[in-house]
Amino acid sequence: MPASGIRFAVTALLEQIVNGMMMGAIYVLVALGMVLIFGVMEVLNFAHGVLFMAGGYLCDVFVVHATGSYPLAVVLTMVTLAIVGMALERTVFRRLRVNLPMQIVASLGLILIAENGAVLLFGPSALQLSVPSVRSLVRVGELSFTVQHFIIVGATVVSIGALHVFLHHTRFGTALRATSQNAEAARVIGIDSASIYRITFAVACALAGLGGALLGPLFLISPQMGDLPLLKGLTAIVLGGMASIPGAIVGGFAIGIVEAVSTLFIATEYRDMVVFTVLIAILLMRPWGLFSVRVRGDA
Amino acid sequence: MQRLASIDHVPVVLGEVCSPAAAAEAPVASDYSIPLILTVPTAPDLTKQGNSFLFRVNADTDQLNEALAAYVGERHLSPLSFIAWNNDAGRGGVNGMKALLPKDIAIGYVGYFDVGAVDFSSDVTNIRKSGARAVMLLMDEEPGALAIRQIRDAGLDSQLMGTLAMGSDRFLTRLDAKYLDGMVQYSAFPPSAPLPRIQEFGKAYRARFGEEAHGFAAQSYDGLLLAVKAMQAAGTATDGAAIQKALSGISFDGVVGHIQFDGDNQAKPPVYITQWCKDGTRKIDFPANLKSECGAG
Repeated sequence: MPASGIRFAVTALLEQIVNGMMMGAIYVLVALGMVLIFGVMEVLNFAHGVLFMAGGYLCDVFVVHATGSYPLAVVLTMVTLAIVGMALERTVFRRLRVNLPMQIVASLGLILIAENGAVLLFGPSALQLSVPSVRSLVRVGELSFTVQHFIIVGATVVSIGALHVFLHHTRFGTALRATSQNAEAARVIGIDSASIYRITFAVACALAGLGGALLGPLFLISPQMGDLPLLKGLTAIVLGGMASIPGAIVGGFAIGIVEAVSTLFIATEYRDMVVFTVLIAILLMRPWGLFSVRVRGDA
Repeated sequence: MQRLASIDHVPVVLGEVCSPAAAAEAPVASDYSIPLILTVPTAPDLTKQGNSFLFRVNADTDQLNEALAAYVGERHLSPLSFIAWNNDAGRGGVNGMKALLPKDIAIGYVGYFDVGAVDFSSDVTNIRKSGARAVMLLMDEEPGALAIRQIRDAGLDSQLMGTLAMGSDRFLTRLDAKYLDGMVQYSAFPPSAPLPRIQEFGKAYRARFGEEAHGFAAQSYDGLLLAVKAMQAAGTATDGAAIQKALSGISFDGVVGHIQFDGDNQAKPPVYITQWCKDGTRKIDFPANLKSECGAG
């Protein structure tokens, strides 16, 4: 390969790694929420994508109609969705623990209500949240990215760090992990499982809202904007192991980077095929995922 | 379509904005002998199915592409890359454009995306890798604005070429003029063109709806008048077969230009190329006799 060809290939690879990390970070935020809820409550919340979407719309409302400040709007979005999450846990999902078929039905119902509600409130056309500061460009050699690319990755890394501190260095986090390991034993030693479930949902929904609020200004805010992150987030937790937080993180970033880099070799419209082929191949070898531990009785 | 035919018993159906849906509706129109007048879908194959009840007022992608292919050839914009919808309109448009291009124009990268896609970063990387001098965007306003922003934000300065949805003030509300400067697009209705029929329609449209007129509105308006004229010529407002016969032989001067259907029931209205200027206005680049300054396109 001539030198210019190698340079083009390296440039393209670098560009796609950055793009892949950015989308991977979004998948991580969704996957972390889903894995927290599943790990603690054994609830698979298929409506997590609409919470991501709600994050986009709420952020738009807070920026345009309330604060005028994007960072403040992101924080308010997370707080609002944490409250929404607590309400959802109390009214819908607490009753459906360990009842997967009903969780799926309830989730599908929530998806329909939320997506149609968004159309009703904001109209069928996608919203464009214009935040000039996040659209400013950063040049890296001959490449150029928006500041938001790096903000998304940075915010995700900070969220992962904060989650780690919360889970491993606070009493509440320890109680949450204990409930996740054995809910009955946790109750026996006096842990209030209802509070744990509530806080778990609050944290998970706040993370989904953060994802929507971060991606909104970069692309568009539409009723279906959470569909793809949900699918990829779900894939990430299946890949990493259903209740594994490190698995969700590695899975999310891996999916983002693999799908982005794969488009250098195959047509872009087939990138999802690559992701799911990798997923199937890994599950054939490790049906319990990359980071979960195989337990007796598992396939 | 089925309901309009079997329950409402309408004599003519106007519309359908989407090529695949129009393709599905066309056989129903034929079965019930009801003329279906299309005013927006551009997939070239639609009027090549031998369906005598399907009429198309607007130019198809091949007709629209013809002028752009000549534009690419004259400026030798090689290699040329594409980002297009992964459907009949997008794939048909790419194939049509490839067939029209001069032989010395190389094809760089061709990327297709599904409706609803918002992330074009992979396409941008591949366009850069292909060394494309020009990029053609076969899509409508929403993805078009996103793709253009991502291409320009990534630092690519290739000549951008778009569809008729990208040549109006409405499109400008989605993007700063700096993103659009220099971009060309085919158009069936340059809203600021110095042509009396366009000016008049534009003025009436703005008075009624408070915004700049656009091609889809003009084409649909012509489709409606065409149906009325055909009913008058056929002497009936209920007999679809008679109205179909009248439409086949109709000759009509509409807002978009002269409309007369060929053997496939495809009209051949005039096509223009407009170019965005730095100040957010447009000018006409094609046809040569209508070349204009910024602000008149």
